[in-house]
Amino acid sequence: MLEVQNLHKVYPNGTRALTDVSFNVEDGEFLVVIGLSGSGKSTLLRCVNRLIEPTQGKILWDGVDVTAATGAELRGVRRRIGMIFQQFNLVKRSTVMTNVLAGRLGYVGTAGSLVGLWSAEDKAQALRALERVGLAEKANARADALSGGQQQRVAIARALMQNPQLILADEPVASLDPVLSHSILQYLEQLNREEKITVVCSLHFLDLVHRYATRVIALKDGQVVFTGLPQEIDKARFKEIYGEDAIEVKAGLSA
Amino acid sequence: MSTPKPDRWRALRLTLITLFVALAYVFAYRGSFIASGSPLDPRDLLSPDLWAKGGPLLGDFLTPDLAARDIEPVTLQLPVPVPCGSAENGAPAASGPRLVPSVPCAEPRDKFTVEGFELQPNTELQLRWRLPSGQYFPGQFITTDADGYFSAEFEARPIVATKDGVPGQIEVELQVEVGELKPSQAFFDVLDGVIVTIFMALMATAAAVVVAAPFSFLAAQNVTRRGPVGTAVYYTVRTIFNILRSFEAIVIATLFAFWVDFGPFAGVLALTVVTVASLGKLFSEAIEGIDPGPVEALTATGANRLQVVWFAIVPQIVPNFVSFIIYHWDINVRISTIIGYVGGGGIGYYLAQMINTGQDNKAGTAIWAIVLVVWAMDFISAEVRKRYT
Repeated sequence: MLEVQNLHKVYPNGTRALTDVSFNVEDGEFLVVIGLSGSGKSTLLRCVNRLIEPTQGKILWDGVDVTAATGAELRGVRRRIGMIFQQFNLVKRSTVMTNVLAGRLGYVGTAGSLVGLWSAEDKAQALRALERVGLAEKANARADALSGGQQQRVAIARALMQNPQLILADEPVASLDPVLSHSILQYLEQLNREEKITVVCSLHFLDLVHRYATRVIALKDGQVVFTGLPQEIDKARFKEIYGEDAIEVKAGLSA
Repeated sequence: MSTPKPDRWRALRLTLITLFVALAYVFAYRGSFIASGSPLDPRDLLSPDLWAKGGPLLGDFLTPDLAARDIEPVTLQLPVPVPCGSAENGAPAASGPRLVPSVPCAEPRDKFTVEGFELQPNTELQLRWRLPSGQYFPGQFITTDADGYFSAEFEARPIVATKDGVPGQIEVELQVEVGELKPSQAFFDVLDGVIVTIFMALMATAAAVVVAAPFSFLAAQNVTRRGPVGTAVYYTVRTIFNILRSFEAIVIATLFAFWVDFGPFAGVLALTVVTVASLGKLFSEAIEGIDPGPVEALTATGANRLQVVWFAIVPQIVPNFVSFIIYHWDINVRISTIIGYVGGGGIGYYLAQMINTGQDNKAGTAIWAIVLVVWAMDFISAEVRKRYT
């Protein structure tokens, strides 16, 4: 279980990104975080694996205080939390295989990994992960030769290499064609259901939220303004979260 | 929101800047030419003296010493029987380098002239008598004119008289070019110097990469500047790079030349120092310019900092690094020429020697070689960089 307790984040320039954010995520949930751009969704996700240092508050994961972890302990926590990014964040000049294997870095020795000595087991796992996202034949292509949707699938394969218990997905489909959104989210849903991997995902489109979320929290100006089931977000709630002027846009093509 | 500035302000600013530049120029002129005691007079550029001096110099540079023939000593001989009838008279050749006497034979104390034809032009030669005994009797020095002609007075002294039917002979020793035109000594010396210079640049660049590459990561904000220790390291390395960069290559080369003696080693050391500073800055800026996304992604996988650098940063900077290294090798070939001039070895040193000893043709050879090499390096480096990135 992931417990976020009274989390605050103030950036050095004074921006209050998160104010007293608290919520729990049960194992196996598909939690979607919604809110306008700048509402603190990315900051929140990055505080969970400490890519961003929270100013105040606590994050407990399986009883371990993530906010207090340092060095090897922190890396140990991170390697069990996969992360998917809006911009995919692949190393573009490296091959797909190298990108996927990089997901294993938290598990292997420094010296061996630097000279590219990967065990047969790791390589086999990487191929399985690529097969899972339907890109096995692209293993030796350069990452920048792939389309956006393919790159995001490679990123999912990289996260799979961590054998994660939790996947953080920061706007995983915001840079993709709406048509591809479902394809990516279905992979995440599959992992959530079949591998029992908890997913915490930020999304823009409400129809995607309705389709995939098992629970939703909404952020506005760094504060939690809603926690509940996706069905509970009606027109009134929507206006509350996104402001009076907001008009709902659909990602289109429901699966 | 910034309001657009009124036009008159821009005009005033432009006027003030122009005025400032003009004043700075006047002060610089006074400082550099008048204070040094030799005011620069533009009319000097038109003075015939300047051109009279520069013309031949330019001529020498434009006719570099590239090829030469082998030189062999050849002795021209002319038998002159003294007294007449004591031996057979000499028969001068009709063409080619030859000595021609005004009389076929002479009585003791007679005076006669000897003319030389088709010898080396404008050359000092020594005339001498070879006595019947085989010994030399030194004669006079003469200088041939532009056609290789000379005329000299001789006196038939008793000592040159014929003995046992062997007449005395007038001799002159010539240096004659023989055989095929071959690359000259200067050509090989210059080739040698150019190769030394290119390899000096290569060695210095390679050594500098080995030092600058790891340190550039320490001087990159996005890699090192984390926590108080990281920040301290970042500023320390950056400061060292900045200080090193403020020294001119030629100054460091002079220091090293006094320390490890003049020669290519001093040049390579100096070049290395300068290149470390320069590449260190270029490298660290390339590292700071990378896409931070992969760094974030690999940090999130639990990779340690070394692994993040190797897997997320290094692949992104390789093209830039290769491009900078080749570019710097190109620059170093030029710098090492200059460093050579102050005693760093290679083609620069050769050029300095030739200029200082007034061998302007050879200096010309060196200058042409430098032009050729710099042009070639420039071209190659541009091509390689274009293809690699």
